[in-house]
Amino acid sequence: MTRRYLGVDLGSTTAKAVVTDAGGTILAASTVQMGAVSQRGMQRAVDAALAEAGITADGLDGTVATGYGRRLVPGAARTYTEITCHARGTAAMCPGVRLVIDIGGQDSKAITVDPDGLVEDFAMNDRCASGTGRFYEVLARALECDLSELADLARRGGRDLEVSSMCATFAETEIVSLLAQGLPPADIASSVHRAIAARTLALVAQVGKRTPVVLTGGVARNRAAVHFLAEALGTDVQVPDRPQITGAYGAALLAMESAGRPPAGPEPGSGDVDMSVPLFPGPAGQDRSCDGCDGVVAPAGAVQLGLRTRAVTK
Amino acid sequence: MDATQDRSNRLSVTRAGGQLITDYWDDLFQAREQGKQIVWYNGGALNPIFQAAGLAWCHGEAFAARLAAQRLEGPAQLAGAEYGYNAELCSYARTHLGCSVLTLGNQGHKLAGDEGEHSGVVGINDSAELAARLPFPDFFVNNYAGCSTGQQWDGISFRVFGKQLPIFNISHPFLWGNKPDAGYLRGEEWESASRYVAGQLRELISFLEAQTGRPFDYDALSQAMTYIKRAAELRREGLDLCRAKPAPATFWDWIACVAPINFLPGDQALVDYFAGVRDEIAERLAAGVSGVRDEKYRLYFDGIMNWNKLGFLSRKFAEHGAAVLCGRYIHNAFWQEPQLIDTADPILGMAQHYLLCPTNHGTKTLDYLTLRDCRDYDVDGIVFHSTRTCRAFTGPQRLLAKSAQDKLGIPSIFFEGDVADASFYKEEILESRLAAMLEAIDVRRARGGQLAGAFSS
Repeated sequence: MTRRYLGVDLGSTTAKAVVTDAGGTILAASTVQMGAVSQRGMQRAVDAALAEAGITADGLDGTVATGYGRRLVPGAARTYTEITCHARGTAAMCPGVRLVIDIGGQDSKAITVDPDGLVEDFAMNDRCASGTGRFYEVLARALECDLSELADLARRGGRDLEVSSMCATFAETEIVSLLAQGLPPADIASSVHRAIAARTLALVAQVGKRTPVVLTGGVARNRAAVHFLAEALGTDVQVPDRPQITGAYGAALLAMESAGRPPAGPEPGSGDVDMSVPLFPGPAGQDRSCDGCDGVVAPAGAVQLGLRTRAVTK
Repeated sequence: MDATQDRSNRLSVTRAGGQLITDYWDDLFQAREQGKQIVWYNGGALNPIFQAAGLAWCHGEAFAARLAAQRLEGPAQLAGAEYGYNAELCSYARTHLGCSVLTLGNQGHKLAGDEGEHSGVVGINDSAELAARLPFPDFFVNNYAGCSTGQQWDGISFRVFGKQLPIFNISHPFLWGNKPDAGYLRGEEWESASRYVAGQLRELISFLEAQTGRPFDYDALSQAMTYIKRAAELRREGLDLCRAKPAPATFWDWIACVAPINFLPGDQALVDYFAGVRDEIAERLAAGVSGVRDEKYRLYFDGIMNWNKLGFLSRKFAEHGAAVLCGRYIHNAFWQEPQLIDTADPILGMAQHYLLCPTNHGTKTLDYLTLRDCRDYDVDGIVFHSTRTCRAFTGPQRLLAKSAQDKLGIPSIFFEGDVADASFYKEEILESRLAAMLEAIDVRRARGGQLAGAFSS
């Protein structure tokens, strides 16, 4: 019988779920927009992925959860941090990647990975929504455009205006002030994108620039954000076809790699999950625990993928 | 965290220290009624000098930490804010300045008026009672090294009390450590700075003689320092025992020992306390009892304590199987080099300890000390508490992280918090970074070697 593994990434604004087979090939994936971390949103994402894979929860051989809401995912064999999962998933999608920049709804991360796709170093924004998806939402609202229109607007901008504040709240005030001065929305949009890219560059500086660079997370769908980031980094920036699911995919790979391994005592994060809730029960008698090294030690390049990436040149 | 998952195993003897501290503060609250003169001070541990001078002493920083540890800092901080000091000021100072305001108000005094007046906001909470119980000072002494806020702190208190009370300031040269012969505890910079501070301590003693109207009792100082030196030696012995694997006690136990070594009187009770700590650790070692059940990771903690979070952090790290073993605040402060103290003539050794404040070294020395302790305790990673309102402590942290990464291959994480203001602490920030670092330590172990790089988050 073919084995199936589930990875769930319950982020701050979206829930993602990925089902893989025993070779790490993605069979199904879903992304559900939420207002905030929500168990209901997580369940919808899981249900959609399972339906697409044509299985029920009973057919799963392992589940790993990640993201802000990882503790809310019942039945997961264990949890991993987003750092580990994004690195793992991205390295599998884009073999050879050395720097992963993940920009989600509420936080941004720069992660360096070694040639085997394992985490070497990471840095995260630490106290506000600066340079995150939330920041772009604030920008779109202030410019009275749809989030999907923001990239085209920014690409039309030519002037580099000073946008100094990186606090989402104060930046909105700054944007309103620029609008009140009669400056074109396109110039404001491009300037904010540049400012965010510069902010991300500071994050990269903490871990050291490596190439190839891959941008993941919801913000990677914003072509202008990718363009300005590539410009700031001075190098090409690749984007996977589905940049939002890298964390969930990494979690699924970790579930796959750890399935069936014996436990080795209490593990980080293992106390997060209510193991008694059989939402995603595995086969009877299968030990779902894993030791502390499982899942993160296996090289990522061995996984077969059908995913494509696109590269954006500075 | 679920209490049933608590894997921490704190020393039982530190509870005795808690009682000593409670008794100390209760005595201080009654000092005026007992006819004692009272000195308010901050910075290095001048208490043996005050003890020998027959004074009662209030270490402002320590009282702020105590309020924070009891989660009673709010009213004092509100009073400090009302007086004009906002949340970016050192929260120790903000809390203690608030205590000054409350102490004045509690005793019917009017504020100096040059920087603010009561608005009526403060004093609305019953918990203000403790913050307001500090006895009115007779004078101030400042003994702060390596922190510009600390050096001005008692000057601000001086203004709060209407510039009517005497104040004595001791100046400490920063130990840059950049001369050719400079090193930890050696070199001309060290020798000359030690003599300079020792000279000021002698001037302080003259100042105290003028304030008390009594000749200073040098024999009493020698006696107090004899007890303190012995207590410090016992503390060092206990710290050294914690190099064992698994460690019999943790950083959090030593945090609980800060108050006794920092400001309790030098007497037999202090020695007995640290003998008890050392003995319990030795007993645990013999019995194979560890400070964290199933120790899996060994960590270094850099940063001043987040006093509102002592128990929480102790349980949190233990939950991950992480034994926090050593740190700058514990290993490089509080009479940490007792061999420097000549009990017959302790002034020079005391001056040297005031210079050895962990915020008073250049990065070269901090780098030496940090890497030394990381090696000695065989740590797997460093957790940097980026103390929001203590930039003197946090300033060199990125350099230390990079050095540990480059020279020892030891990863680091950073989290923001504060000494006495819990609002700067974000649980998810520490949790996600800690878990990620531990995951990658697992990777390193599985590979049987060091990570090529380390974490900078």
